[in-house]
Amino acid sequence: MNQLIFLMPILTVLVASIVLMLLSMYDRFSTKYFIALSSIFLIIALGFSIGTLTNEYSIKVYNDIFNNALIFDSFSNFFTILLIAGTLLTILIGEHYFLHRKYFRGEFFTILMFALFGMILLGNANELVTAFIALEIASFSIYVMVGYNSDDGKRVEAIFKYLVLGSFIGAFYLLGTVLIYGATQTTNLTEISTYISTHSGNDLALVYIGITLILFTFLFKIAAFPFQSWLLDVYRGAPMIITAYMASVFKIAIFSFFLRVFLQDITSIIDFWDSIMYVIVILTLVFGTWLAITQKIVKRMLAASSIVHTGYLLLAFLAVGQNSQAAYATMFYLIAYLLSAIGSFGLVSHINSETRVRVTYDDFKGLSKERPFLAAMMTIFLLSLAGIPSTIGFIGKFYVFTEAIDAGFTSLAVLAIIATIISVYYYFKLIAVMYFYPANASCESEGFNDKRVSTYAIAFIAILTVLGGIGSAIVFFIPIPGIDTMIEIAQMSVQSLMMK
Amino acid sequence: MSADILSFIIFLPAVVAFGLMITTKNVEAVRNIAFLTTTVVLALVLKLYLEFEPSAGMQFVTNASWINSFGINYDIGVDGFSLTILMMIAILIPTSYLLLWEGRTKGYWINLLLVQTGVTGSLLALDVVLFYFFWEVMLLPVFLLIGIYGFGNKVFTTIKVTVYTMAGSLLMFVAILYLGVAFHTEFGHWSFQYTDLMKITTLSYNEKIWLFLAFLAAFAIKIPIFPLHTWIMETYKNAPTGAVFLLSSIMAKLGVYAIVRFMIPIFPDIYVEFSTWFVIFGLFGLVYFGIAALMQDDIKRMFAYSSASHLSLISAGIFSLNEYGINGALYLIIAHAIATGALFLLVGIIHDETGTKSIKKLGGLAKTAPIFTVVFAIMLFANIGLPGTNGFVSELLIIFGIYEFNHTLGYISAITVIIGASYMLWMFQRAILQNRDGKSLNMRDLKIKEIIGLAPWVVLVFIMGIYPDIFIDKFEPTVTHYINDILKIGVMK
Repeated sequence: MNQLIFLMPILTVLVASIVLMLLSMYDRFSTKYFIALSSIFLIIALGFSIGTLTNEYSIKVYNDIFNNALIFDSFSNFFTILLIAGTLLTILIGEHYFLHRKYFRGEFFTILMFALFGMILLGNANELVTAFIALEIASFSIYVMVGYNSDDGKRVEAIFKYLVLGSFIGAFYLLGTVLIYGATQTTNLTEISTYISTHSGNDLALVYIGITLILFTFLFKIAAFPFQSWLLDVYRGAPMIITAYMASVFKIAIFSFFLRVFLQDITSIIDFWDSIMYVIVILTLVFGTWLAITQKIVKRMLAASSIVHTGYLLLAFLAVGQNSQAAYATMFYLIAYLLSAIGSFGLVSHINSETRVRVTYDDFKGLSKERPFLAAMMTIFLLSLAGIPSTIGFIGKFYVFTEAIDAGFTSLAVLAIIATIISVYYYFKLIAVMYFYPANASCESEGFNDKRVSTYAIAFIAILTVLGGIGSAIVFFIPIPGIDTMIEIAQMSVQSLMMK
Repeated sequence: MSADILSFIIFLPAVVAFGLMITTKNVEAVRNIAFLTTTVVLALVLKLYLEFEPSAGMQFVTNASWINSFGINYDIGVDGFSLTILMMIAILIPTSYLLLWEGRTKGYWINLLLVQTGVTGSLLALDVVLFYFFWEVMLLPVFLLIGIYGFGNKVFTTIKVTVYTMAGSLLMFVAILYLGVAFHTEFGHWSFQYTDLMKITTLSYNEKIWLFLAFLAAFAIKIPIFPLHTWIMETYKNAPTGAVFLLSSIMAKLGVYAIVRFMIPIFPDIYVEFSTWFVIFGLFGLVYFGIAALMQDDIKRMFAYSSASHLSLISAGIFSLNEYGINGALYLIIAHAIATGALFLLVGIIHDETGTKSIKKLGGLAKTAPIFTVVFAIMLFANIGLPGTNGFVSELLIIFGIYEFNHTLGYISAITVIIGASYMLWMFQRAILQNRDGKSLNMRDLKIKEIIGLAPWVVLVFIMGIYPDIFIDKFEPTVTHYINDILKIGVMK
């Protein structure tokens, strides 16, 4: 019975999706109602997962039912909290956007919950096939959400590209699983890990190939080079708030599983991929940066810059092989990126929710005079993305670069810094157009009302972004988890991986 | 109380700025409160100055944990060297408010307050990450100041100056991280205090050179040392008076300060080894910028070059490895801040009143604005180092220092100072004294509050010129400590 408590967050999300699905049959429930209901479910789920945060643990619940396919530990709990919180924030920030788009009906929230369910499951998977199913549940929900705007011509291209490429790359994963199964006679991660540690040489050849294929899927899902080509069009075609969701929350889910695999199960052979990853990090950073500078549309710029952030994450990920401390850096950076990305994308969607006009850099001219509060928030998020001190993005970058240098990747760290220098250009350009130009007459919308849930959600995230950067030194008297607490939680989570 | 006085000095302006941001819309109230805040800061700094005992060590140290897992601390303190610059900042800022008094908006004042926090914070930080934090944070208000209140192609200018300075800072950031990691590998725990980083012994010669250059990139861009100066011309031309004042007379000095504070202790051997090159670079910059200044028609641009030229002299002094040179450089930091700051603000007034900054179009200002002309002349003479002014003392010390370092370079530096005198006096003759035919320019004289604002500067110019000892005594122990204990030069001789 006491094992049930660990299942509660994921069960809550599953129940939520079913309840919402049933309710969506009735027309009398408005979108507002669905937003409120799904938020309540998410808060309950968040409560359950935070409740079990206190101690380090690693539990395979209900062995006889799940056959060790699922594992619940502090590590997965860390990601569960991030995923649920991220989804909750997405819904709250998107409130305005959802209400102003007719196509967001009850079913949408069902799908969102299913996506979240798949992602949490992915973080808890201890078995390759389970992970695949979880990944596909999440991916398919996201395919549907990408194509949710039936008025937009671009969504056809977006959904088609994403669906075809995503399914194609999913096949690589399955092929990899098959090869690993062929060598090890199991798909259970713990057993694969045992196999790797007891065999060497030719016995592992298939495992190497298999894991390489699985790595392809990982790189595709996080849009690392050379699998990034879908990203711009898909992000552009998807409704803005879904782009925010994909860029931040979905990426976290992907990392939750692959970090586990790399840290816990194949850590003894991880060096094999170092040289490939080294090149991938370089190309991801260079290519992402090049894409980001050349964009004229703000949404595409943010999308392209998310490739650069993938590069930073991969840099920390690469360092994990030399220096397991870097895992904390990856996790901390995920928190930092979650806040800044969901904030910035969400804010653009909030601005766009009444009109469609604020699209390019030019459209953002003079925003500071029209809506000073939103412009200030946007500035905070952009500063955080650019890694300027006093924001959480700075601490995140500090952490990643320190660990990368500690692991001996100084030249990559320098390259990442150069990418950061260039990122100052495209992020600050947006700040510049918001503040330094008179308002663009064609974009002025009258009678907007900024006193709504999404505005407060954005403000909340902005406060977290700044608190995360200044931390306990200045606000030590406020009982909010500071930087140290977050780092400790990340460390505790990684340590739980070592308990088997 | 006395332990926390530094934190109070750092954060008071920022706290007031945030308070003003969300409360009032009344520009005059904002300005008055902002001015009041800076005078409170000045009073606190004065108290500090009097309580400070001349010695080599840090005083008023506060140390609180910030990011424990990385050994990053909120660690601040003041020694003779930073105290002198702190004093200068505390005096310059409120008086500059008096000269910028009218016609500014709320954002202008708030940004000025935020800059003050950033500047003071980076001046007092003893932890390199904390220093980096303030160093970057002070850039943002300046970014907004130039972008919102600048002239001409201001957006391009803003982006250029930001990317430029940030590129340098981020290279320094890599170096900081590298040092932190080296310390961690050697001692098993994290620390970013510069006194701890001094203890690192494992770095190879090549590593040290790279790290040294990375630090230098950040500071040289800010100062700017030739050839990293290309951002300043546009910036000084397009930026509003307040921002130019801050950049030239305060932030540039922090670049010099940071070289002494962080680069000398952490890389003493590299510093000594390459000092000849930097002195040569400094002198080259002095001549190069001096000649460039000679050819300008826009007064603001001319001062920009002149400022860069003097800053090159400061950096030559800093690298001259002896007490004369370093004392002189520190002294020139103050002298230059006062003279250049005042000149930029006065040019700001000329521009506001007459609508032009061109030397050819100006002229005859002395007739309608006599007090203005007198103050202008005093600052000009201080700038070119006329005996009796603070500029004279500092230039003399630097030239002595460079002479002791290398006789040939000493002669060269002595001669090149003439260039400064020539462009300044030529400009003064054409723009201020010489009468123009045709319609006269509408130039008003200084107002009472502007005179009150400038009075302490004028007084300082002369006191510092006539009794340099009262000031040098405060920072000399620190300089001796640097030269004897850190560079170990005194011991060798």
